[in-house]
Amino acid sequence: MTDAPPTVPLGRHEQAHRAAAPAEGEASLVAAPTVTTYPMTFTGQAGEYFRSWIVNSALTIVTLGLYLPWARVRQRQYFYGHTWVDGHNFEYTASPLALLRGYLIVGALFLAYSLALNLQFRGWEYVAGVIGLAYVLLYPWLVMKSLRFLAVSTTHRGLRFRHYGKAGGAYAAYGLANLASGLSAGLALPWAWFMQRRYQVENAAYGDARAIFRGDVGNFYVIGLTGLAVAIGGAVLLGVGGFLLVALFAGVLGSLGEDVLDGPVSTTTLVVIGALYLAFLALYAVAWQYVRAATMRYVLNTVEIGGVVRTGATFSPWRLVWIGVSNTVVRVLTLGLATPWAAVRRARYVLDGVQVRAIAPLDDFAASQAPQENALGEAATELLDINLGF
Amino acid sequence: MTAPDPSPLSLSGVAFDGRSSRDRAATLDVSGDVAVLRVEGGESHWPLAQVHIDPPVPGVRRVLKFPDGMRFETRDDAGVTALEIRTGRNRALGGVRRLEARWWTALGALALTLAFAWDFVVFGIPALARTAATATPRPVLATFDRETIQFLEGNGYLAPSRLSAARQQQLQAEFRRVVAWAVGDYPYRLLLRDGEPGDAPFQIGANAFALPNGTVVMTDQLVALARSDRELLGVLAHETGHVTGRHGLAGVYQGLGLTLLSVAVTGDLISAGTFAAAVPAALLRNGYSRAAETQADETAGRYLMDEYGTTKPLRDILARLEEDDREADENSVQEGNRAEDLLQTHPGTAQRIRHLREIEARGR
Repeated sequence: MTDAPPTVPLGRHEQAHRAAAPAEGEASLVAAPTVTTYPMTFTGQAGEYFRSWIVNSALTIVTLGLYLPWARVRQRQYFYGHTWVDGHNFEYTASPLALLRGYLIVGALFLAYSLALNLQFRGWEYVAGVIGLAYVLLYPWLVMKSLRFLAVSTTHRGLRFRHYGKAGGAYAAYGLANLASGLSAGLALPWAWFMQRRYQVENAAYGDARAIFRGDVGNFYVIGLTGLAVAIGGAVLLGVGGFLLVALFAGVLGSLGEDVLDGPVSTTTLVVIGALYLAFLALYAVAWQYVRAATMRYVLNTVEIGGVVRTGATFSPWRLVWIGVSNTVVRVLTLGLATPWAAVRRARYVLDGVQVRAIAPLDDFAASQAPQENALGEAATELLDINLGF
Repeated sequence: MTAPDPSPLSLSGVAFDGRSSRDRAATLDVSGDVAVLRVEGGESHWPLAQVHIDPPVPGVRRVLKFPDGMRFETRDDAGVTALEIRTGRNRALGGVRRLEARWWTALGALALTLAFAWDFVVFGIPALARTAATATPRPVLATFDRETIQFLEGNGYLAPSRLSAARQQQLQAEFRRVVAWAVGDYPYRLLLRDGEPGDAPFQIGANAFALPNGTVVMTDQLVALARSDRELLGVLAHETGHVTGRHGLAGVYQGLGLTLLSVAVTGDLISAGTFAAAVPAALLRNGYSRAAETQADETAGRYLMDEYGTTKPLRDILARLEEDDREADENSVQEGNRAEDLLQTHPGTAQRIRHLREIEARGR
């Protein structure tokens, strides 16, 4: 696995060497461009973000949800605004009003779909069928709209990001690839991840500088197989452990004269089953979080922007798994009140482990003409849980 | 604006021209209605009304945007806030920011959120569900009944009753008496069915249930469990209570409301968060259905008091259902502990028996 960040920048560096190649002995005389590493930092504070989060949540509730887009924008603005590279922060610039329109459309469709499924009034099959089919057919298009909107709503140093993804690419990466992984019983799943990350990165741009994705599909298979190995290994351990536990309980209680295994379902058995269920849930979470974390790290290590900048990641996927799982536990135990703390904790660990390496100053980028993007896809991804992978 | 000229304001920060990522040191001077942006070697003048001020975000540099694409970023939050107040910008989000800045307002928001969430779950969802259930048109109810029975019969949960035709007619006649007593204009019908067909994937067993439009299903096994028809009439009266209370439909709406709520809270449909939300949601659903059972028992209690002056028949058959023992009576049921109580779909049988005794005491 190519976990280690790339050591040498490419692009101009390589070209410089190639240009110098004819005069062999002089190659070493050509000054290699200096590589400057800019660490990313996250300056958000859990307490500060908690206050913002709870105030915006309360406003969302008392306005019966109408404030939701403002709350979402403000929460994003907090995280973007506290992410710094080379002394400058990011900015999230989406208009809450644009999001509200999308939320209302998507919300109304989702409500109609739920009502149809739950009530089964006359003709419900058609209502649910049409909405469901439209969702399946439009899914890749919604992803594309969402990526484009998200990119154009992100600003750094006064320049916007862009996403040039086209519908064709989205249908290949999110339609065809997902279909293939379904039909192949998951065998093509890492390939689908590869297609999707490539679609996300290759079409991204900062100002007029396009991003390049240098990853290859093999690494996604390594990540997927590692996740699978974790899941299977853990399941075997849990199975053996659970069996031993039940046998132990049966033995102990049996010696007390109470027959556990033959009688009606006893409390002990229920507890063991419940514990096993939770353990398998945790196992699934670990495997899935590993895949997500490792993919993110790999992708960040393979992005190149405009031939002069590369991103790199040094955070540990396993540490991120621990943060993800423990965050979930803490959130459940605090009935969701620790959500801001968990979000800040994760963002700080991830972003403090991301660097930008450049062979040119970061103020050399130029703007591109950015057309407007509408927020429908963005609203759909937020409300319908379309997973973009990060 | 012709307001008296407040003291001039000077902010220092960095500027970007919006065309390149180069940052330049800059100062912004505001006097009267004019803002002057000075960037090394040049300056631009703008009417203050044309300068856009981004709403504040805690701990982040303030951003001012100019019509030509220039942007000015400064850490001088106090200065920008003064400018906002002077020009009346960002009043709403400035207010949000003031709420976010202090712990006591944040804790107030927390208290408000918890109170609102609690009230919504305990009173709001049931009230909304009741309203929606009352407003649901009859054809929908009829569809609901038809589809449910089709499903249960089609999948082999229910089979034709094995009771003799005479016995069936007798029960139907008694059911009509209960229906004549019940309020509301529902097309009641009693379906007598075998609840334990040999090939059923799941045994319904001794049971009776009501569907929203007045279809009541009673199984042969329940009929066999009863020692007298009074007991069965108590059960049937209980089921008409569910119909007139529209509990079945309200339950569907409550489930829908809880699903939507947990999606709104956890923000997704299929993930670990949903699993975590499933447990409280299930407990809440229990709470709702316990309230419905109590209400239906109230109806059954009134019927039995009107007809026989006692609620004992229903108490006895409840006990027999609970103990799954033909010899049991109301005194064989033990009170469960609170945790067990909370996990039961119906109120604890002991609790229901106590409630029915209270109804009898009240009726005397």
